[in-house]
Amino acid sequence: MYLELKHIHKSFGGRPVVQDLSLGLDRGGLLCILGSSGCGKTTTLNMIGGFLSPDAGQILLDGEDITASPPEGRPVSTVFQSYSLFPHMTVLENVIYGLKFRGVKRGPAREKGRRYLEMVGLAEYANARVYEISGGQQQRVALARALIVEPKLCLLDEPFSNLDAALRFRMREELKGLQRELGMTMVFVTHDQEEALHLADRVAIMDQGFLVQEGSPLELYRCPASSFVADFLNLDQLVWGEDGTLMKIIKKGEDF
Amino acid sequence: MERLSNNYWKGASKDAPFRSAGLLADKALLTVLLGSICVFVLWPMVCIALRSFRDSGGGFTLDQYRGVWHTYGRSLGNSLFVGALTAFFCTLLSVAVALVLTTSRGWARALLMGVLLITMVSPPFVSSLAYIQLYGRRGWITYRLLGLRWSPYNQWGVIWMQSVSFVPLNAMFLQGILSKLDTGSIRAARDLGASPACILRDVVLPLIRPGILVSLLLSFIRSMADFGTPTIIGGRFNTIASDIYLKLIGYSDLEMSAAMNMFLMAPSIAAFFLYRRLMRQCNAITAARQDRQAALDLPLSRCGGVGILAILVSGLFFLMMALQYACIFLTGFLKVSQGAYAFTLQYWEQLMKYNLTSLWRSVGYALTVSLAGTLFAMLFAYYMERRQVAGRSFFDCLVTLPYMLPGTCFGIGYILAFNAPPLRLTGTAVIVMANMLFKQLPTATKLCSAALTQIPVSQELAVRDLGGGHWSGLRDVILPGLRPAFLSCFVYNFSSSMTTAGAVIFLIDPGRQLAVFRLFDAVYQGEYAIASLIATCIIAIVLAVEALAYLITMKAGSRHVS
Repeated sequence: MYLELKHIHKSFGGRPVVQDLSLGLDRGGLLCILGSSGCGKTTTLNMIGGFLSPDAGQILLDGEDITASPPEGRPVSTVFQSYSLFPHMTVLENVIYGLKFRGVKRGPAREKGRRYLEMVGLAEYANARVYEISGGQQQRVALARALIVEPKLCLLDEPFSNLDAALRFRMREELKGLQRELGMTMVFVTHDQEEALHLADRVAIMDQGFLVQEGSPLELYRCPASSFVADFLNLDQLVWGEDGTLMKIIKKGEDF
Repeated sequence: MERLSNNYWKGASKDAPFRSAGLLADKALLTVLLGSICVFVLWPMVCIALRSFRDSGGGFTLDQYRGVWHTYGRSLGNSLFVGALTAFFCTLLSVAVALVLTTSRGWARALLMGVLLITMVSPPFVSSLAYIQLYGRRGWITYRLLGLRWSPYNQWGVIWMQSVSFVPLNAMFLQGILSKLDTGSIRAARDLGASPACILRDVVLPLIRPGILVSLLLSFIRSMADFGTPTIIGGRFNTIASDIYLKLIGYSDLEMSAAMNMFLMAPSIAAFFLYRRLMRQCNAITAARQDRQAALDLPLSRCGGVGILAILVSGLFFLMMALQYACIFLTGFLKVSQGAYAFTLQYWEQLMKYNLTSLWRSVGYALTVSLAGTLFAMLFAYYMERRQVAGRSFFDCLVTLPYMLPGTCFGIGYILAFNAPPLRLTGTAVIVMANMLFKQLPTATKLCSAALTQIPVSQELAVRDLGGGHWSGLRDVILPGLRPAFLSCFVYNFSSSMTTAGAVIFLIDPGRQLAVFRLFDAVYQGEYAIASLIATCIIAIVLAVEALAYLITMKAGSRHVS
């Protein structure tokens, strides 16, 4: 396993938020942590990113224990929910900010920045201020900023929640394409079932701090581990055969 | 059912005369508010401008300006010099103190806040008083401890004292911005590998740039306007503000001082418009994100040179403050006899005998101004925020202007505007209180407006939808919602009224002395013990009233919860 979470615990003021969480992900894979608000998914992401430290457990990345290293010391970068772009810098300055701490000279950094901007389709906005561009464009800048440092792992915290439905759909496609192209390992947090099933190689469903089920979208779709998972995936009725196998899936609102 | 609705309708028609009376009262109230702002803010400024061009016969002349240029050119230069250096040093200190304040936790933070609170409720001149006592010719530190013989009365003393005494307000302002900074940017920078030192340099300081500019601007204007410090410790070094003070108090030359004031007023008004622009930028930074109010997580000790400098500079500041207040509290109770200090109550008895009336008068004025000012600010904020008043931005601008207006301008403006019928107010208590009220109105209005934005407009619409008029909305929604603002407004007005000196010094009748001016006289005449005691009393009274106010809110708050 490339990324491994081993028996992670975290509580805030005595209230357990994440309990005995163990997860794994292969190199180049896209894991989606899915759950409703308050299930502990963002806390998990923050622990992988280094913004929170787990009360117990271990986080391994590429064979290295990163549990104790601070965010600036981990080969992990994050695309934040509200993008968190630096408002006093241009688009290009935002994108190349992280290269500064990797000993890249200004000239090559700008060049690489332009290449990444081109990749996300924003080449002509290099000198724009971040408040001058639209939400979807800001999203792409945040993505380019996280990817340019060539992290071993990229985290995305509900990155599409501030976009409208049509744009969300397009960004989803773009992200998937970019991830395949770069072979980037990604962990993605969302509460949107459709988004998760569509994007992920592996889906982990969390509820009240516990991991409920982990598997490929197809596995989840075919064999939900519990009625909670079935409900959450919006699967209204399940028809079982006499030998106990799943015969038919009927989604909510669909006719027989 | 039909009868019922009929009855409702009848009720409404019975209400109609009251409603039209209410409408009339509404208009009358608005007229009084806006009218008094014109009379007490705009008119005095116009008077200064007009008088500065008037010759002895009543015609137009530029003689005064020529006179100012020739006689006071040097003082003007001095003012600019002191202003620029004060702005620089004060902002440096303020940023350092604000950074330490925002990043420290627990008891350290409580201690720092406590020190800042005391400095904010202190009357002016206390730092000059402590400066003379500690570092003067016979200073405790310079003479008695180090055995130095030097004269502290020069421009450097003025710059240093101004820088230190303007720090608390600037630091509190910057701390407000820092604590509301978008934590996302800082997290993102950390995530990309930035060390704390880089975050401070690349993210935090650039983000608060408008705040730093505001601090520079405010310190510059305050320094230009300050006549007390140069008068007390400037020695032979004069600034235009201290010259105005002398010209007015010593020679009563109104035309000349009006022209001199124009040299202060014009840059202040220019600075004011710049200030408003910068404040809009500041609000944009802090309004960016208001959820997740995590505190600034930036260990200053790991922030490299800048972080260490901030800790050292603010450490120096707090050490100076501690020395200053220790000195002030001690001076009132110590007496030198044969080279040794001894405890004495002599000065305390003297104070009780001669100065008690001025102290009580100060409290009386302050209470009156606080109540009237708070009410005025609440009503004004309501009309500005919630009602479509014609010329809204003009009045908003006008009411904020006194914030930047030098005390000498605001004082002489009142003398010129109100020394003749129909509004002959000079020498009365009314002119003093009006001056305090309108000088404090900018901040009071801002506090109330901020509270008003917390009350959803829909609540007021609901009142009207259910059949209530503007008055019902004001009474049932706005005023209850403004209760927390009432307290902060009251406390602000009270402490400002107790400690203000700038404008009021020119308006006060010699028979109606206020405590702050007894303090000024005492420092000026070298009665340091008496001055220290007056300062101590003022600080104690203001702190007591603030504590009382907070106790009342906490009580009211807990009753509200249960």
